[in-house]
Amino acid sequence: MNFDLDQDQLDAAAGARQFFAGLSSPAQARAALEGGPLAPGRQALADIGFLGITVPEAAGGAGGSVLDLAVVAEQAGAVLAGPSLVTAARAAVLLADQPELAAALADGSRSFCVVDGEHPALDAVGADTFLALVDGDLVVGGGDVTTGRPMDATRGLGVVTLTGTRVLVPDAQQLWARARDVALVALAAEDLGTAGRAVELGVAYAKERHAFGRAIGSYQAVKHSLVDAWVGVEQLRSLVWWAAWAADTAPDELPLAAASATAFAAEVLERAAETCIQVHGGTGFTWEHDAHLYWRRAKVDRLLLGDAAEHHDVVAGLVLAGALS
Amino acid sequence: MDFDDTPDEAAYRARVRQALAEHADELVHLDAGEEAADPREQEQALRRTQRVLAEAGLVGVAWAAEHGGQGGSLAQQAIVGQELARARVPSLINHIGIGMCGPTVIAHGTPEQHERYLARLLRADDVWCQLFSEPASGSDLAALRTTAVRHGDDWVVNGQKVWTTLAHVADFGILLTRTDPGRPKHAGLTMFVVDMHAPGVTVRPLRQMGGQSDFNEVFFDDVRIPDSERLGEPGEGWRVALTTLLNERVAVGGGGNDLGLSVESLARLATAKLPGLPADRQVLARQAVGRAAVAALANRYTGYRRLTAISQGGLPGPEASAGKLAGTAAAKLVADAGVRLLGDDAVFAAGPGDDDAGRWQRNQAWLPGIAIAGGTDEVLRNIIGERVLGLPPEPREDKHRPFNAFGSAR
Repeated sequence: MNFDLDQDQLDAAAGARQFFAGLSSPAQARAALEGGPLAPGRQALADIGFLGITVPEAAGGAGGSVLDLAVVAEQAGAVLAGPSLVTAARAAVLLADQPELAAALADGSRSFCVVDGEHPALDAVGADTFLALVDGDLVVGGGDVTTGRPMDATRGLGVVTLTGTRVLVPDAQQLWARARDVALVALAAEDLGTAGRAVELGVAYAKERHAFGRAIGSYQAVKHSLVDAWVGVEQLRSLVWWAAWAADTAPDELPLAAASATAFAAEVLERAAETCIQVHGGTGFTWEHDAHLYWRRAKVDRLLLGDAAEHHDVVAGLVLAGALS
Repeated sequence: MDFDDTPDEAAYRARVRQALAEHADELVHLDAGEEAADPREQEQALRRTQRVLAEAGLVGVAWAAEHGGQGGSLAQQAIVGQELARARVPSLINHIGIGMCGPTVIAHGTPEQHERYLARLLRADDVWCQLFSEPASGSDLAALRTTAVRHGDDWVVNGQKVWTTLAHVADFGILLTRTDPGRPKHAGLTMFVVDMHAPGVTVRPLRQMGGQSDFNEVFFDDVRIPDSERLGEPGEGWRVALTTLLNERVAVGGGGNDLGLSVESLARLATAKLPGLPADRQVLARQAVGRAAVAALANRYTGYRRLTAISQGGLPGPEASAGKLAGTAAAKLVADAGVRLLGDDAVFAAGPGDDDAGRWQRNQAWLPGIAIAGGTDEVLRNIIGERVLGLPPEPREDKHRPFNAFGSAR
């Protein structure tokens, strides 16, 4: 039994934390709501190698594992970085046999978006290359993006009308399903980072803010809600690692692990973000405070790539089909 | 990252599995949630089972060899636990003795006490219980009132303990008493080994909400304990008790095993029951099954992280409290999803026509106790909040004042 990150992955996490701390922050997520650019942005993510973590080395990527990517995605989530590593992870699977396009993903020369029918697509705003499943075939093409006023501008969500598509892979349902499961793992990993940081903010404030003569974190009402949020984060970490490991090592377990991690992530992040606001009291729901930026991410991410109800149904279906026996 | 045994662990597991197969006929086997017909016969059978396992080297795995143990690791201990569960062998009758009382005797007892108790404890020649909680001191253990007063070479004990698991079958117990009420509450305590068959010890089973009796009240009326049965110095009882509680964490916080019925049991029940439900109820039942499975898996894989730490030689820290907290919550989701699958049968504690109903109802009625026994959900949250997250404690106004300064409240 060795269910833990290895030293290389711990080093990668530390490096990613440092990279994102210098280039990305909730303040930039707030500015993006008012028209500012994504931070760190596609080119910076490509230059550090994060868009190509799971792209094969022959195509200019790092040839790394989904777990390697999940470790970095957690750090991206902690600072609400954009664009997402979810799209990078998903596109890398879809482009496994397309070296030129995969190279363009890794080096940032193309801006990808993966489209699920008429659902708002992640990283659609500003994308120039769209991947979709049409009549069972994987297609690539351009797209017209229609978007509303963003809830969380770092997610770049928009509804895509595909234009000028050509078939990349015929009969690609299995490839598409795996790519979607890997995307779920990356989404849950980003949410892990976001939720963990929201709890950290709440804990720090509960130590420093005094009311009725003592730190509010000493009151069980405050303490226990923070503990519940923290326990959720640690349980989520286990599901994210399991799902990433399954993507790399045990593909039969991936559908169950990915659906479990994403369903759990949606609820853990929502609770963490809401707890963070509640603990901060009156400052917690101001525009200036960072808490609402974590809350925005929570309220959007819980609906991306299926909601918890959909994933719970998937889990039930797999369990009934004998996934645990 | 992997979920495999190391080569050493795999070899050890194979030996354990072989030993359990060889002795299968001599061991009690029970499914989770199943109840033995005759408790008295069951007690004797469980004592025999532990003796067989002890002779096969599968009891006290992580105890030092000089105390009769196997000198093994906590990882090996966890492997034995997994293999016993796999072989449907219920918890050892002396699990409290092995997990908590024995390690306390080892750490604080005299060589004579080691000699007198440890080998018999491992073989279940003597069954042990832990006499800590009282009617007026549950979570606030250090507020206990049972007194021990020195008379020559003996101490005379008066008071009452409660929620004492196994006291009705126990031969010995470790007993936390107040010996100096003039000192602050943590400073006036002393620990003893008590003979549960001594004059003045009265055990009365408590019936729990589900109808069964696993717990007891224990009354002490002028019970004489020789000073040679003291564990640790007078006034050092709290420190001794912390040894017990730390070992409780090792015993309970190790594996990420399901508390209550397993998610696999739920899957089997759902496979049998779902097709018979109306379509709209099936949708809701699938949601409940999915949610419960996710919670159970989250807890199971978090347990694997603790097992990894143990496998690398670590001890479970205060974060192990999160395992019981989340495990209880997951078990309640599993229990509720299961009971709801029973449909109209769920209004009956058992039957009329369905063997599954009684099993799921017993499980449901057992779980409120799990959220309280061995550290309430609230105490666990305090431990995590204060010792893991570093949040300040609630003020404890009685902590530094003499215990008897609180007058009629005590």
